[in-house]
Amino acid sequence: MTRDRAQALARRGSLLTAAALLGLAGVYVRALVFTPIERFQGPAQKIFYVHAPAAWSALLAFAVTGLLSVLYLWLRDRRLDLVAAASAEVGLAFSVVMLTTGPIWAKPIWGTWWTWDARLTSTLFIFLLFVGYQVLRGAMVDPDVRARYSAVIGILGLVLVPFIHLTVYLFRTLHPDPVVMKPGSPSLPGEMLVTLLVSLGVFTLLYLGFLAQRYALGVLRDLQDEEASRALS
Amino acid sequence: MPYPENGGYMIAAYIIVAVVVLGYAISLFVRLRRVEGGRRAG
Repeated sequence: MTRDRAQALARRGSLLTAAALLGLAGVYVRALVFTPIERFQGPAQKIFYVHAPAAWSALLAFAVTGLLSVLYLWLRDRRLDLVAAASAEVGLAFSVVMLTTGPIWAKPIWGTWWTWDARLTSTLFIFLLFVGYQVLRGAMVDPDVRARYSAVIGILGLVLVPFIHLTVYLFRTLHPDPVVMKPGSPSLPGEMLVTLLVSLGVFTLLYLGFLAQRYALGVLRDLQDEEASRALS
Repeated sequence: MPYPENGGYMIAAYIIVAVVVLGYAISLFVRLRRVEGGRRAG
């Protein structure tokens, strides 16, 4: 990809991110002002409208990283590695949201910030796995070796994604069951469901905007490194 | 029926989401500006 095309992608990503941030402001207004308070959990239930979409975006990002890692090991196309790395970093940002809002909801509802049940532990594990992915990429100088090693970690993360989704069925866990991504119709009243679906859409847009920007950043850095090595030789 | 008064947790969570999401958006913007300006972004 040329510098001009990478810069154009960065601009499109910035516009998409800006639109998604406006959408997020709309989600805040809809969730906090226009969505009814749940009778048993109280206002803390509204954390769900940002926690679940952040979890969706994080797992989507890690799944994309894993799939592109498989493709990279097959095709050895540098662009696949760069998109995988971009998606992994964006996934970490959403994971921070997921892993902070979850305990803030759990404290008033469960009476504890954290419990070592299967869903929470496996979610923390995938977060730490992708922290390791970032550390590995930062420590490797050779781009081919870096891409190959990090692809292996990306694939390990891909294996974890469906496992995390199924933990609430496979183990006895405190974590609530899925309300949308499950067999049968969603188990939420209409107004709450609309808020959740809008938020899911906005977080997906945010993911795409961040991904485009982060990929463009990776391409521009690569071009800069190539120019620097050409100047040295 | 009165509902539990735990709005403080809700507000804290929404503030943290805004801080993390905006923080990451700004970080991407700044790194892109640096690399487009010719300096290596960290």
